Amino acid sequence: MRTRYIQRGAEVSEFSQIPIWRRMNKKDLIQIGFGLFVVFFVLSSYITAVLHLLPYDPLKINLKEMMQSPDYKHILGTDFMGRDILSRIIVGSQAYFMPGLLSIIIALFFGIMAGLVSGYNGGMTDSIISYILDIIDSIPKMVIILLAIAFFRPGIYFIMLIVGITNIPAVASLIKSKVIFLKKRNFIEAGKALGLKSRDIIFKHILWYNCKAIVIIQATLGMAEVILIETSLSYLGFGVQEPEPSWGNMVAAGKDYFFMGDFYLSTAPAIAILVSILGFYLLGDGLNNALEWRRKR
Amino acid sequence: MKYTILWKPILKLVLREFFIAILLLLGVSVLIFSILNLAPGDPLHIFINIQTQNPEEIAAIKRELGLDRSIAVQYLSWLNNLIHGNFGNSFRTGRPVFSELIKVGVNTLILTIGSLIVTLLIAIPIAVISSLRRCPFLSWGLTLFAYILSALPVFWLGYIAIYIFTKKFNLFPFLSAGAASGFRINWIYFLLPIIVLGIGNGSISEIIRHMRAQLERVLSEDYIKAAKAKGASIWRHSFKEGILIPVTAMIAAKIPFILGGAVVVEQVFNWPGMGRLAWQAALDRDYPVIMGITIFAAVVVHLGRLSQTIVFAFVNPQTSEKGEPA
Amino acid sequence: MAEEILKVEDLRTYFYSHAKEAFIRSVDGVSFSIRKGEVLGIVGESGCGKSITAQSILSLITDGPGIISGSILLTHNGKTVNLLEGLPDYVSVKTKRKAILEITKDVTGWLKRSEILMKGIRGKVISMIFQNPKSALNPFITVGDQIAESIMLHSSISAKKEAIDAAAKWLERVQIDSPAMRLYDYPFGLSGGMCQRVMIAMALSSEPALLIADEPTTGLDVTIQTKIIELLKQLKEELNLTILLITHDMSVIMQLADRIAVMYGGRIVEYGLKREIMDSSSFIRHPYTIALLNSQPTVEEIKMKERLRAIKGDVPDTITLYRGCRFYERCDLKNDRVKKKCKEAEPEMIEIGVGHYMRCWLAEG
Repeated sequence: MRTRYIQRGAEVSEFSQIPIWRRMNKKDLIQIGFGLFVVFFVLSSYITAVLHLLPYDPLKINLKEMMQSPDYKHILGTDFMGRDILSRIIVGSQAYFMPGLLSIIIALFFGIMAGLVSGYNGGMTDSIISYILDIIDSIPKMVIILLAIAFFRPGIYFIMLIVGITNIPAVASLIKSKVIFLKKRNFIEAGKALGLKSRDIIFKHILWYNCKAIVIIQATLGMAEVILIETSLSYLGFGVQEPEPSWGNMVAAGKDYFFMGDFYLSTAPAIAILVSILGFYLLGDGLNNALEWRRKR
Repeated sequence: MKYTILWKPILKLVLREFFIAILLLLGVSVLIFSILNLAPGDPLHIFINIQTQNPEEIAAIKRELGLDRSIAVQYLSWLNNLIHGNFGNSFRTGRPVFSELIKVGVNTLILTIGSLIVTLLIAIPIAVISSLRRCPFLSWGLTLFAYILSALPVFWLGYIAIYIFTKKFNLFPFLSAGAASGFRINWIYFLLPIIVLGIGNGSISEIIRHMRAQLERVLSEDYIKAAKAKGASIWRHSFKEGILIPVTAMIAAKIPFILGGAVVVEQVFNWPGMGRLAWQAALDRDYPVIMGITIFAAVVVHLGRLSQTIVFAFVNPQTSEKGEPA
Repeated sequence: MAEEILKVEDLRTYFYSHAKEAFIRSVDGVSFSIRKGEVLGIVGESGCGKSITAQSILSLITDGPGIISGSILLTHNGKTVNLLEGLPDYVSVKTKRKAILEITKDVTGWLKRSEILMKGIRGKVISMIFQNPKSALNPFITVGDQIAESIMLHSSISAKKEAIDAAAKWLERVQIDSPAMRLYDYPFGLSGGMCQRVMIAMALSSEPALLIADEPTTGLDVTIQTKIIELLKQLKEELNLTILLITHDMSVIMQLADRIAVMYGGRIVEYGLKREIMDSSSFIRHPYTIALLNSQPTVEEIKMKERLRAIKGDVPDTITLYRGCRFYERCDLKNDRVKKKCKEAEPEMIEIGVGHYMRCWLAEG
């Protein structure tokens, strides 16, 4: 009888059957964990707000307790109007999250459609779609947003709609190059030869098996970008207005106090921005590494 | 060494890209023009509030600005002027758009390109070091460092920078590019926003990730192994495909992003760039200025793409007779 | 007796797979030697570890972590060097209850050490040519430039112009037409056969003591294959080359090799002079060798449309440790006398003739 030296492990095929948690190494796990933590934090801000679990009312002005340093009562201190900073930071994530989801959904939905049609059909359809998307791609995002703001005086949702639209070309181009890659490698032809329905080929095989990584990365990167844009706009005064808290306008409000020696007013929201963007980046990176494992040995 | 640089196909390729760029720019102008005319708001409002609402005077202003014509005619006349190098005159100031645009446009360009260089100076060494796999700890640490840099909000970073420089060097806090008095002060005023934008634009981590992926892919190619086997330097062999091409690709891809970040940084540092002009023009519905700015931005983006195509064509010997990249 | 240029002793190259938490034993104790002026052919199925052996000699293994152990003694210009000296010292092995859990490489130390060992050897004393010549040449640099690079690295010529001229001469030597013009071509414009000739020119330009040819004909058309083999034969005569030839194609071995090593499952199972191994009236040979030789159809068999005699079974996976002989399942020659032994114990290399060894229990008695 042969002795088996190693019992665990399965055959590694192109689509690895080794369960995901076995494939990941420590680094990826940490990244994904961190990212999920951030997501959890953001989601919890909605829950706590709804359930009135916030430490303090973020809008409540209390002039008696202005500009206090962090202490046991106010974990992150208070701002220049006596409002609790921690509560404001918790609620601040609501300024971008839902609108951000809108932006991501639009970018992904239309981007995937455009990419699929472009790549699958090729020819004239491809040229037309590419042309239109290229036009959108040629103008820097911020320029479009500024113009839109000046023209339409929109709410944050409209702005995020525009951000979503400006992200469509990137998604479409990634999906399209993936489809062309699969075409070149005859995966699609093989599928047709096997008699698979077109619909199956597209949804199950192309999208689910092959484009998962792209979608996840674009979604997480998209959210990170949304945070950046929303906070930048609020900082510039275009987004969420006082007294509603947004991390951007908190930084803006606090910046004048720098020279008086009070840093935390500006720094606390800045760190919140930093951690959130970092979280989404790492989440996307870690998931990508975990999913692309089958390429390596 | 005599190289067979195939001039003809390269020229064909570049011309082809050039014409496509022109078509795209046309498309951009049509799109923006349509949006301008469909959007609420009216260029006349900068005049009407000041003047009376006398219908005759309104009609006169309209005629003067050329707004009494149909949209199609307006567009075509704008296009016609453009071909002759005339960007039209600003509705607000009456001065040629071109001269105003050049002044601020160059400033923004300096900021954009300068910070692009800074970003690359940081990103390339990190990408190279982490793909060497010599010390996994170091590369992981550097990558994490880069991620944190990418996540920093640039407006906050800018303010911290101003603060540090004001406290440490006792400089006047609000900087502008043309600030006078002293060579030393001038340089810092100049470099600070560039460095801040170079560090704080969110694309460092993406650049590093992409470059690292490409470099690692190239280093695992057969020809690198063969080069190693003959005792040659793998760096010399992997440079073209592993560094030069990805870098130019990244430059072309990230220019629009950095241009956007420049607008924010301009605000923080009071840098006289396009951002303010664009904002004012948008509020005023100053159509010629808006068209000029968007065309300018789009041209910059396409210049970046064109240079990528040129580099690619020169590096890749498979640029075939038809002028297609292999 | 000609001196031994290369002597490989108990070479083992294992790769550690995180996903399977086990070692992939690509080369599992390989020993052979090559004498000056002879051609040693290593032959075996795909996946038996031949290429890895060649790459281990030149320390080209980059997939990590893993371990290369054993000794590779290179004798050149009177000096003998062990190419694996000190390398195992840069590896730490984690064991748990006598089972090897993990091998971690001190990558910096390993790389530094192997670079020190390999300096002056790669391309100069030992040259290598590869499978798929088109992808082994740098697509962004002209062919002439690449050969000139070799020349400038390993010979006294340091002027570019001189090197290019020398490159042209070498192109002529490998029978490429209009060499002066081919110098300025890029690899994508050349056919597979021409690319392989370029590689040969590059490899031989430094007049190495040993040429390792890793499946040099596998990626080429059959007609071109013959030409390349002819070229190698010719150059071998002209330059008194020593060649380590690795291939899975028996016909190539038959034309070029002086001695043969048959590899299976990461070990050498038969080793000896070509004429002894190829001779079908030979007294005894390893079952695998016999099966390999038999699997080549003769012209009559093709005409008669006879069934191909494939070796039944599959290539062994190099992870599971076998208790008995690796070839057991696929062996046609096991008889009752040796069956039990074959199952229980891995055979040793048994000498069955002068310089002719075999790893099979059938050799006993």
